[in-house]
Amino acid sequence: MKTTTLKNGMKVLVQEDHSIPNVALYIFYRIGSRNERPGTTGISHFFEHMMFNGAKKYGPGQFDKTMEAAGGTNNAYTSYDVTVYQDWFPRTALETIFDLEADRIENLAFDPAMIKSERGVVASERRSSVDNSNFGILDEQLWAAAFEAHPYHWPVIGWMVDIENWKMEDLRHHFQMGYSPSNATMVVVGDVTSDEIFKLAQKYIEPIPSHDPPPPVTTQEPPQLGEHRIAVKKFAQLPLLMIGYHVPQSTSPDYYALDVLETILFSGQSSRMYSRIVDKDQLALSVRGGQQFALDPTLFTITSQPKAGVDPANVEKAIYDELDKVKTAGITDHELEKARNVLLANFYREMKTINGRANAIGSYEVYFGDYHKLFEAADAYQKVTKEDVQRAARTYFTENNRTVGTLIPDKSATQAGGQKSGGQ
Amino acid sequence: MILAALTPLLVLSLFALPAKAQTASPSAKLKLPPYQKTKLPNGLTILLMEKHNLPLVSFSMDVKSGSTSDPAGQEGTASLAAALLRKGTKTRSAEQFSNDLDFIGGSFNAGASTDFTFISAEFMKKDLAKGLDLLSDPILNPTFPPDEFTKLVAQRKDGIRAAKDQAQGVLGTYFNAYLMGGHPYARPTNGDELSLAQITRDAVAKFYATYYKPGNAILSVVGDFDSAEMEKALATQFGGWANATVPAVQLSAATPAQGKRLLLVDKPDSTQTYFRIGNLGIARTSPDRVYVNVVNTLFGGRFTSMINSALRIQSGLTYGANSVFDERKAAGPFFINTYTRNATTEKAMDMALEVLKQFHEKGITEDQLISAKSYLKGQYPLRIETSDQLASQLTDLEFYGLDAKEIDDFYPKVDAMTMADARRVIDRYYPLDNLVFVIIGKASEIGPVVKKYAPNMDTRSISEPGYWPASGAH
Repeated sequence: MKTTTLKNGMKVLVQEDHSIPNVALYIFYRIGSRNERPGTTGISHFFEHMMFNGAKKYGPGQFDKTMEAAGGTNNAYTSYDVTVYQDWFPRTALETIFDLEADRIENLAFDPAMIKSERGVVASERRSSVDNSNFGILDEQLWAAAFEAHPYHWPVIGWMVDIENWKMEDLRHHFQMGYSPSNATMVVVGDVTSDEIFKLAQKYIEPIPSHDPPPPVTTQEPPQLGEHRIAVKKFAQLPLLMIGYHVPQSTSPDYYALDVLETILFSGQSSRMYSRIVDKDQLALSVRGGQQFALDPTLFTITSQPKAGVDPANVEKAIYDELDKVKTAGITDHELEKARNVLLANFYREMKTINGRANAIGSYEVYFGDYHKLFEAADAYQKVTKEDVQRAARTYFTENNRTVGTLIPDKSATQAGGQKSGGQ
Repeated sequence: MILAALTPLLVLSLFALPAKAQTASPSAKLKLPPYQKTKLPNGLTILLMEKHNLPLVSFSMDVKSGSTSDPAGQEGTASLAAALLRKGTKTRSAEQFSNDLDFIGGSFNAGASTDFTFISAEFMKKDLAKGLDLLSDPILNPTFPPDEFTKLVAQRKDGIRAAKDQAQGVLGTYFNAYLMGGHPYARPTNGDELSLAQITRDAVAKFYATYYKPGNAILSVVGDFDSAEMEKALATQFGGWANATVPAVQLSAATPAQGKRLLLVDKPDSTQTYFRIGNLGIARTSPDRVYVNVVNTLFGGRFTSMINSALRIQSGLTYGANSVFDERKAAGPFFINTYTRNATTEKAMDMALEVLKQFHEKGITEDQLISAKSYLKGQYPLRIETSDQLASQLTDLEFYGLDAKEIDDFYPKVDAMTMADARRVIDRYYPLDNLVFVIIGKASEIGPVVKKYAPNMDTRSISEPGYWPASGAH
């Protein structure tokens, strides 16, 4: 790994790998839905779309057209915390990619016609991923109920009414707030040399001036004082159950213990939850759970699809029963060793592709403050003890700390999610 | 500790990759890395490729029989047989197998497609001996315990109900059933609510006993191992697998649909309409495959394709629209695929048909051809990047009777393609007047709109068991 920081503050990380003639270039902006406010929720995600819709040198449609003609392709994702732009291309396209990225970072266009059309695209995305998805709608409602003060309350894609009502000035404000080079980290993995990447970054990115980063998110979620419970009634053939527990941000020392616990509870058919709930008791078709990278305290979620005719309450009871077992009796040496093996194997799997590596390197740099933590993760898991895992379970998996959501099939409900999001 | 000992290995492999002095560009040569092919005396074909950048070993096996070998009315048999392999062997219960597999961070997956059954597994190099045992045990010694069979069938039945709660996930199954009619590809690979009720534990065991034979199987291994040692280990592990003749698959080409046909599946809660429009496409071994890939890149195979440009980029009617040639042993489906909100159903469908019409009339430009070639060549290496991708590539090539030339000749074939080739491909492989429509949505709202697309409209409720009655199936 070679790194440099440009004069405008953007950090550039490079890992050379010449096994295929391709390159993965990721740019992580430290801006996501946690930086938004009521009324403009989802604007980070909308902005992610706008970044493909034309700048100064490359007009509407030219970004994708130029990149694809050079043999490249791209995507992007937005989370609560970050907006990430991903380019995958043959090394011959290197200079083109830098030219494209620099153009949109510095000179994004705000064309009203483009904004109107893209609003429709995002509304369609929301209809698919939330309104017409049992998982999507329940997940959205669960987070909204678990977080009352902190911005993790609203969905990354935004409420439908907000998607329909952003103004041009909201977009300009958002661009100015989030898209300073100093607020971004670039990761390049693949068939390159660090020297050529640093030179290209100096030529194309360094001249772009920086400005103030987004103001810090000061809101903290106050401690939860009792269980939260929500129901979603929707036309569906099967119910769905989701439980969320508040857990700390990724930089917390408990992060690794919770990851080990997640592996023991949910990874593979021998995991405690699968073997109890899907296999032995046959209460559900699936059960999965875990935490995600987060800059602020987040949720450890558990999702289960009950079988037909099974009351979700019975699934819920079995889940608590398994959590209680960890709290009272802890985990075994065998389970701890298994979890370490699984996490190591998963790490190697993530390292298989230049894309996986670019994403992992950038994620650790952003969420843990240092990409070295990626390569130290195996050691960190090694240091987790049985007692750490039991203590984490006792600390976080409590009744007062949880939010429970149930999707209840209702043949008379014909507007899926429409009531809440009011979007039709 | 094992972990501590392994970490430096990783560091070495990540940071000291050999720097090849290659002038990599989309026009540079692309070759499949060397591999060796052997056959065990019992007929098992073995393909081995060493790849030492990470301490992993990936396995890919095809048994050359899939859901087209399911008994009529018992769709889902091949799929159940594959899923039950790990659910009990002569020496391990399902639970023991999962415990042993998970303890070493290994993976084992098995399932069926229309033409073959696939099994894949992956282990860390340090666990290779255990991994070989965990790979071969379910393939050679499954016992199909009755209680595991009953459990799985119940899960599958509920799984279909859960799947039907998401229109997008089942649209393809409805489309294939409605398009392919009496052809074996019409039948749902994972079965449906009706066919699953007809399958017995013994029928699944019989499927295994009939088709899982070494002469009917291909095993590829790619990763961090020594080929000579691996060959010996595989001979030990699989040498005792007894061979027998397997009934040949009789698969004729399906007949393309004539005229226009339309199926509307009612999902009364839907706020969006999901639709596919298409007809019969091409087989995996079609001599025109590379040309079709290039042309379809422009029509519906990438973000700036004609279909996505019209329906997403320029009009915002949808989050995404594409077109796909589903390549199989015989010709599989071709379709345009997208969704839009209920109120814009007609606009989106009209637009999709208009893009298809324009494609036939205007074809493509020289610049577009150059761009598509560059795109396909630029993205191709990402398909042969990892040990598991390479293992399944090797198995695929062998299954379809192809070899390394298929990949080595890809760039030259793309380069040699002309505008005349493109025109011929459009005329021959893109339907225009003969179209099959399958739509999932809120019938009370969109039914009156979509009936104009075909002389007759077939309808059914998404709650109704099954997808579409294939002839002889029910």
